[in-house]
Amino acid sequence: MNTNLTVNGRPHALDLDTRVTLLDALRDQLKLTGSKKGCDHGQCGACTVLVNGQRINACLSLAVMHDGDEITTVEGLSSDGRSPLQAAFVRHDGMQCGYCTPGQLCSATAVLDEIARGWPSHVSADLEGPVELTREELAERMSGNICRCSCYPGISKAILSVAEDGTVHREAAE
Amino acid sequence: MYAFDIERPTTIADAVAALKADEAQPLSGGQTLIPTLKARLAAPSKLISLSGISDMIGLSDEGGALRIGGATKHDTVAKEAGATHPGLAGLAARIGDPAVRHRGTIGGSIANNDPAACYPSAALAHGATIVTDRRDIAADDFFTGLFDTALEDGEIVTAVRFPRPEASNYQKFEQPASRFAMVGVFVAKFADGVRVAVTGAGEDGVFRWTEAETALSSSFTPGAVEGLSVSADGLISDLHGSAAYRAHLIKVMTKRAVAAAE
Amino acid sequence: MSVGKPLPHDTAPLHVTGAARYVDDIPAPANTLHLAFGLSTVARGVLNGVDLTKVRAAPGVVAVMCADDLPFANDVSPSIHDEPLLATDRVHFVGQPVFLVVATSHLAARKAARLATFDITEETPILTVDEALAADSRFEDGPVIWSKGAAADAIARAPHRVEGTMEVGGQEHFYLEGQAALALPQDGGEMVVHSSTQHPTEIQHKVAEALGLPMHAVRVEMRRMGGGFGGKESQGNALAVACSVAARATGRPCRMRYDRDDDMVITGKRHDLRIDYRAGFDDLGRLTGVDFRHLMRCGWSQDLSLPVADRAMLHADNAYLLDHVRIESHRLKTNTCSATAFRGFGGPQGMVGIERVMDHVAHALGLDPLKVRRANYYTDMAEDATEGGPSAPPQRSLGSSPPPEDISGKKKEADLTSRGGPDELNRVVVAEASGQTTPYGMAVTDFILNAMTERLADQSDYAARRAKVADWNATQPVLKRGIALTPVKFGISFTLTHLNQAGALVHVYQDGSVQVNHGGTEMGQGLYQKVAQVAAQAFGVGMEVVKVTATDTSKVPNTSATAASSGSDLNGMAVKIACDTIRDRIAACLAELHQVAPDTVVFAGGEVTVGGDTISFARAAQLTYESRVSLSATGYYKTPGLAWDRKRGQGRPFFYFAHGAACTEVVIDTLTGEYRILRTDILHDVGESLNPALDIGQIEGGYVQGAGWLTTEELVWDDRGRLRTHAPSTYKIPACGDRPEVFNVALWDGANREETIYRSKAVGEPPFMLGISALMALSDAVAACGPGYPALDAPATPERVLAAVDRVRRG
Repeated sequence: MNTNLTVNGRPHALDLDTRVTLLDALRDQLKLTGSKKGCDHGQCGACTVLVNGQRINACLSLAVMHDGDEITTVEGLSSDGRSPLQAAFVRHDGMQCGYCTPGQLCSATAVLDEIARGWPSHVSADLEGPVELTREELAERMSGNICRCSCYPGISKAILSVAEDGTVHREAAE
Repeated sequence: MYAFDIERPTTIADAVAALKADEAQPLSGGQTLIPTLKARLAAPSKLISLSGISDMIGLSDEGGALRIGGATKHDTVAKEAGATHPGLAGLAARIGDPAVRHRGTIGGSIANNDPAACYPSAALAHGATIVTDRRDIAADDFFTGLFDTALEDGEIVTAVRFPRPEASNYQKFEQPASRFAMVGVFVAKFADGVRVAVTGAGEDGVFRWTEAETALSSSFTPGAVEGLSVSADGLISDLHGSAAYRAHLIKVMTKRAVAAAE
Repeated sequence: MSVGKPLPHDTAPLHVTGAARYVDDIPAPANTLHLAFGLSTVARGVLNGVDLTKVRAAPGVVAVMCADDLPFANDVSPSIHDEPLLATDRVHFVGQPVFLVVATSHLAARKAARLATFDITEETPILTVDEALAADSRFEDGPVIWSKGAAADAIARAPHRVEGTMEVGGQEHFYLEGQAALALPQDGGEMVVHSSTQHPTEIQHKVAEALGLPMHAVRVEMRRMGGGFGGKESQGNALAVACSVAARATGRPCRMRYDRDDDMVITGKRHDLRIDYRAGFDDLGRLTGVDFRHLMRCGWSQDLSLPVADRAMLHADNAYLLDHVRIESHRLKTNTCSATAFRGFGGPQGMVGIERVMDHVAHALGLDPLKVRRANYYTDMAEDATEGGPSAPPQRSLGSSPPPEDISGKKKEADLTSRGGPDELNRVVVAEASGQTTPYGMAVTDFILNAMTERLADQSDYAARRAKVADWNATQPVLKRGIALTPVKFGISFTLTHLNQAGALVHVYQDGSVQVNHGGTEMGQGLYQKVAQVAAQAFGVGMEVVKVTATDTSKVPNTSATAASSGSDLNGMAVKIACDTIRDRIAACLAELHQVAPDTVVFAGGEVTVGGDTISFARAAQLTYESRVSLSATGYYKTPGLAWDRKRGQGRPFFYFAHGAACTEVVIDTLTGEYRILRTDILHDVGESLNPALDIGQIEGGYVQGAGWLTTEELVWDDRGRLRTHAPSTYKIPACGDRPEVFNVALWDGANREETIYRSKAVGEPPFMLGISALMALSDAVAACGPGYPALDAPATPERVLAAVDRVRRG
């Protein structure tokens, strides 16, 4: 099935088997192996990518359903690997084995965007007005991304440091 | 996964027509269907995507009731239903994780009727109406058993209509790994009485706890169900929890829901 | 100075851009084939045959192999050759590989593998501890018993006694990167294997045997794993061997990875066990005698179970001086997946037993459990002992003749580099230790937990918070709080003594860049970075000058697994020795050119100062090269002072002990059994830290993983031996919200008294056992509900907590 995907800003015209998941299309066809196959059942978050700015599990989505979509993977989060969030993950050592890191980064990128847009979650204290990225708020929003090394303190520090820098708002404004 | 074709109709009529093909199956958000296809428990020859049908997406007011299109994502319900249906919005906000909420849909959840899914309890507790391409079905008649509904072959849930409750709340005791409900209780108070629906616990799927409804209809307080007890008969006993534990949790979650209802 | 700096992981910039490659990310040639196993659906039975007609006819299938099709050894066991790659005449658990499908895609291989029809005469499986005991189904002839003093008499004479039973569950590794391998056939039948393994030499050995080749014809490379936790010490053998035999048969590259469900069903997990205990004690809670019985479920093959069960026995004392103790360990053989190494390697299972006893004793006496724990502690080492070197090694003598080979049928070599390997080579004469000794007769000379506990109790405000918890519990009917402070003393060294060795290969190039190779593997623990820091320190250069390359059996041979927390201790030292050799050569060369003494040459800040001149390190390397002096060296290290007689359970198996203590406060909901960890304070002993950032990461991660083992991570098998929790949707791993709400981690500031690499201490496993404080805090909270003792089993799921609440209320 002919499918047009824009991945990390580059258009791709692919002829895909309908059974191919978005994750397999990224890894096998486009050789973008940053997105990982942790469980292949949408439970671990290692395959998280952004589709039109929203995060989804690439393993739970058929590639052909994304005809015309804009997809961002960890490889496309920045041109130089130094987005504020990427830099913060390095600075705060928000990883051990690194296998969940691409998914954590894509998810965290979306979290910062959601916060900047003022989207509350079910743990938000105030459903109106700006959302504060509390510990609980972050835990809820990152709940779909498992780190078996349990490097959660480092991951949280990295995300919070970017949120506190106000980088969120700059990114959202761009 | 076996080979299959995909069609992406843009109208309900086209979707219904496409579903007349042999072994065609609707694909909504895919958060349940795709894992099922991977495990090859389902082998459709054709998938009819419902995600491109604009008439099935979004929330609207319909004579005081809230109409939610069948292809509306959980995330949208979480964000937009709160003003009139806080319990429903809270339920949607707690389904799975954020990535799942960006793909999964209300119609998919209702039509699948997983015994541990959250939405069926909301539909049943609201006395909602399930709108399909061909008829309206009362929630009380819709959920007929484990993964079983009143839907006919090729029939699509195009929308769900939720009357506005005076107060409502959903409390879920999560199965911690999947975040599905091990016990989920939806309580909705209306002028003519209270409805209590329980998901995650019943061997036949979602059910109403009528004793609690009677008690809460005369006094909408957590204490009203204090004297009641839930029988473990007919409840699920599995690796995540025994029937007795679930029976115990039903009462606890009901009291919590009543206390939190707004 | 690079050692001691809190540097992030060396490849962090690659991880954040998705550029860090794991085995399944390595580009392979287009004609690469993909493998899948056909798995037994029966837990126990006679394998009469398999109908593979449909499998062979399935689309994409290139070859199908059964046991009879294997050219040489059919063996992936790391110990006694009881684990065939493919089942022969019997099947032993649900998920045992029976045949191998080689196909053009991963999906085609998996689909075809399901099309077989098995002819198996089913037998009643032995699944539980009780069934195994009843059938006397076990490894070794009978239980292993180690003792000190006269426990039974001491317990009988004690003023007070408690006894009980504790069920402790296993644990799935759930390394986020599943098992994976890629085999690339080379000229002349040689094989290059990429394997996600903690033990490249074991892979090399197993592949060589399976291909009928000497080890020199097999090269194994490992750059990084997406987590290991012990699950990749022996469990990768099957995939690497399967890929290699398939690559040999087809002449094409072959790759294999387990899908997550298969991975969970096939591979071994942490040993679950039942602990029976009896203890006698005085009015202050001091144990006068204690008796343990460990009933460990080892699964169908021996794998590493014997040393795991040994280590459980070796940690049955944890931090406590026991004068009269008896430990009986049963290694039970069951028709379940073969339990294997998992962070702590039995240590956690042994330790949780004595911590349960301390908790039970305190409850019986109505005392603060911390008081009871401290009353039983070993005595701290003298203040000035830090400066002392290693104590004199006990005498030892090597046996004069090699042990008889344990061979049945086909020629198989002993797995010398495996922890499951034979230990007869170490003919040990163990000297009698003096002073305070462990139950296995090792002198405890480096104990520091009295001082550490004092400080942690102070920093965590333990006493005041314990009082507040009591106040809270007196007024709150539904939510009950609990607090517990528990210690960890963990022995560092492989208990198979000869594994305590390591090699390194270091090159300095003419541009002054340094390439380091060592036998350790990187799985996220930061070993490569620590080793790079050691090398940079040795040459006085910046970190950017040093590159640690993928672990490769052709660069450093005969390596031990990266396990037993030993990675930095062993490989760091080997690298330092190699670097020092080269540095000394450079110094000697430059000293000669300048006619000064070699020891006046200084390496610092990327420069070398000699005879008043300062030149760049690169220039120094060039001069050395031009003087025709080698800039390449190996380093070799072996841990001194070890002497362990496993059969008698006597000696010094450990070079030193690593310590830690954790204080955890929890709240439980007595209506549902739900709970949360409110606050955790940790003080942990890593000696002089090589890298505080990496060490703190290990401590935080270890604690959360340890708490997960004892709280949420529950494995369930059904009565036909099928694992029901075989996916992340049914097996609960700690997520972001499960970490403690307040989480304070501090490093103890003392140096290792033994001469380890820069006086640091191992950190991989010990923090895992800090998680025991979470279980004990839950016990404390449940105990607040009534007069009875909670006797919480693990994992303490909400349902178990609720049941315990009900139990203590009934008294």
